[in-house]
Amino acid sequence: MILLNLREFRSILGLVGILILAIAFSPAAADGSRIFLQPGNLTDILRQISVIGIIALAMTYVILTAGIDLSVGSILALSTSVTAMILTRASSSSYSQHIIVAILAALAISTAAGALNGAVIALLDIQPFVVTLASMIGIRGLAKWLTGNANIDIGFGRDVAAAFAAIVRQKIVVIGSYLALAVMFWIVLSRTVFGRHVRAIGDNELAGRYTGLPIRSIKIWVYSLSGLLSGFAGVLYAAENHQGNPNAGVAYELDAIAAVVIGGTRLAGGKGSIPGTIVGALTIGVLTNMLRLNNVDSNVEMMIKAVIIVLAVAVQRQRIAE
Amino acid sequence: MDLLHAENINKHYGGVSALRGAHFTLRAGEVHALMGENGAGKSTLAKIIAGSVQADTGTILVDGKPAAISSPLDAQRFGIGIIYQELDLFPHLSVGENIVIGNLRFREGRFVRFQKVESFCRPFLEQVGLDCPTSQTSGTLSIGQMQLLAIARALSMNARVILMDEPTSSLFDDSVERLFRLIADLKRRGVSIVYVSHKMNEIFRICDRVTVLRDGETIGTRVIAETGAGELIRMMVGRELKTSAARPEIQPSGEIILCVVNLSTNKLHDVSFELHRGEVLGIAGLVGSGRSELGAALFGVDPRVGGAIHLKRKLVAPRSPREAIELGVGLLPEDRKLQGLMMQMSVIENSTLAVLNRLQSLGFIRSSRETAEVKPLFDDLALKCSSYGASAGSLSGGNQQKVLLAKCLLANPDVLFLDDPTRGIDVGAKEDIYRIIAKLAAGGKAVIFVSSELPELLRCCDRILVLKEGRVTATYDSAAATQEKIMAAAS
Repeated sequence: MILLNLREFRSILGLVGILILAIAFSPAAADGSRIFLQPGNLTDILRQISVIGIIALAMTYVILTAGIDLSVGSILALSTSVTAMILTRASSSSYSQHIIVAILAALAISTAAGALNGAVIALLDIQPFVVTLASMIGIRGLAKWLTGNANIDIGFGRDVAAAFAAIVRQKIVVIGSYLALAVMFWIVLSRTVFGRHVRAIGDNELAGRYTGLPIRSIKIWVYSLSGLLSGFAGVLYAAENHQGNPNAGVAYELDAIAAVVIGGTRLAGGKGSIPGTIVGALTIGVLTNMLRLNNVDSNVEMMIKAVIIVLAVAVQRQRIAE
Repeated sequence: MDLLHAENINKHYGGVSALRGAHFTLRAGEVHALMGENGAGKSTLAKIIAGSVQADTGTILVDGKPAAISSPLDAQRFGIGIIYQELDLFPHLSVGENIVIGNLRFREGRFVRFQKVESFCRPFLEQVGLDCPTSQTSGTLSIGQMQLLAIARALSMNARVILMDEPTSSLFDDSVERLFRLIADLKRRGVSIVYVSHKMNEIFRICDRVTVLRDGETIGTRVIAETGAGELIRMMVGRELKTSAARPEIQPSGEIILCVVNLSTNKLHDVSFELHRGEVLGIAGLVGSGRSELGAALFGVDPRVGGAIHLKRKLVAPRSPREAIELGVGLLPEDRKLQGLMMQMSVIENSTLAVLNRLQSLGFIRSSRETAEVKPLFDDLALKCSSYGASAGSLSGGNQQKVLLAKCLLANPDVLFLDDPTRGIDVGAKEDIYRIIAKLAAGGKAVIFVSSELPELLRCCDRILVLKEGRVTATYDSAAATQEKIMAAAS
């Protein structure tokens, strides 16, 4: 089985188009070069898309099973809060131990939240939209309750929290972990039994039942992974923004879904790919960067994004119809 | 004068012709049966008259004048209504709303006045004997009541002709009696009924005339009082079909591999039979006779309410397809689009989906091993596809069925239940499937072969079990069986 089928990988056309526009409209720097193409700007784009990009990787799996996960933004907020709460607590252990405990605790609680989503969806047979809508509200509440609805600041001093932020917010760590996760999710989806099961139950769940697939456990796994990656994105967010924020990540689920859909994944499930989702995240990232370099009003930016999302999907539809 | 006359009706679905020059004449105030085997074209003809399917060519006359019926709304204008087998009600809307929606005779402004709905609907509900408030949600009615509602709706549209497509297939006995009384009542009021069915006893009880279809052609029309079940069966089956004995004369002498004793589910009653290694057991029966439900019970889909299944001398009770597959039971489901295939996924992915565990190491699928495993099977089945990576949805019906058969066979079951495997596929693919069935039996597998086509059962099977209304009504050695005997036991 080939990893990447170019005929089915049409979302890249949209990205190429946006890249050409971004280069063409790039303002010039003092030395006459195009700011858009400067390495610092290009790596900035990658860092900016990493948080949504990571959430979108697991969202791809969820949508492939014909599901949806609306709770990712709330899980991210919970994760930033837990990370910051543990980091700002006094501890006798070494900095490295303290940081590891904070990250693992945030990942564990996020994964548990995702597993709960999956268990309710699979065992009680309730629509994923409804279940994750409920947990989106409930988990946001939990994050606010834990923190007393206040941001927990991570300082710039010499304490453990500041050390955490200094390490984790480095471009190499953020971009590197996005790329590593992307490759892992790509390989798992295209090469493993689990990946094939994910696509199969989204394609035709009844046929999956007649085939004897472990449908419930697949669903629980998929939503657990969504929780895990949302939690990891939360850790990155806490470091980047120097705070645990129970109000973080509002509407991130929509950005992640947009990346998945621009990447050519069928919202009805069964068809889609991780490279597509990466391209989707890059498309949004490059577009945002282009508009900001040109000082476009952020409200206008939203309107332009809306048009691009519809266009990207419409172009793919057209080509599939051919 | 004839109320309705359909002449030279032709209809093709893809490459399959459903109707070939069929004709049909309905008089005012008669109950006219439309009979034929599964796939004879009787439902298609009824739908064409009702405007929900368009004929490729043909003429329909109403009151002797040509009638262009190209939609259900047109049919309504000509006074033609239809009661589908799968009732076309809106289950979340109320009884009254179901009657007035899309009803040309109920005209008012943009807003619905419930008083007016009540006064419009009540006479028709009374006429069919449905005693319920017009505000009741129709999904809460029983199947029998929903059918009465559908008839009330047809009457409210001033129907002079009501077509009923197998109206008793999902009814219990008392609802059937009520329906028959209603039909007699409608007839007295001058409404003509077209009664699509293959149940002999019903037709002789309530119908005046009968028209028999076979392979999309009209074989003839008879007055019920002047004909008998024997003649109708001969008309339905046809005499030119030969029962070629392609099955080799090897009597299955293998051990008993499957023994089913008094198996009962919601749809099956006390079904018992034995199956030997190397045997092909045919299951004949009309749609709704319980033949698919037998597969569902053996495969752990439908819960058992009584009886026992012994597999390889052990008492087993599969509660899910997963357990059934582990026990060595394979099922080729009846509806390959709904229950069988992943249309977006490739041919090879579909075929190996149930056996990925043995094609992997550390969770990674060994694609070379996967290809090596399916290639001989696909060659044996003569599968035609552009590549193994082609999506299952892009294949023809026959090749889709071969992919599903390959999927069943890869799991290496001892007992294979094939639920109408040749439905809607071309002749060449059918021959391939017959050949594979014979080969499996020769290799010591036990095969249960459900089919709507009696000639293929007679040709492929050692024994034939006939089901009717969830019960076994007869078992024949195929040498002793004839189509007439089987039809008589099934209808």
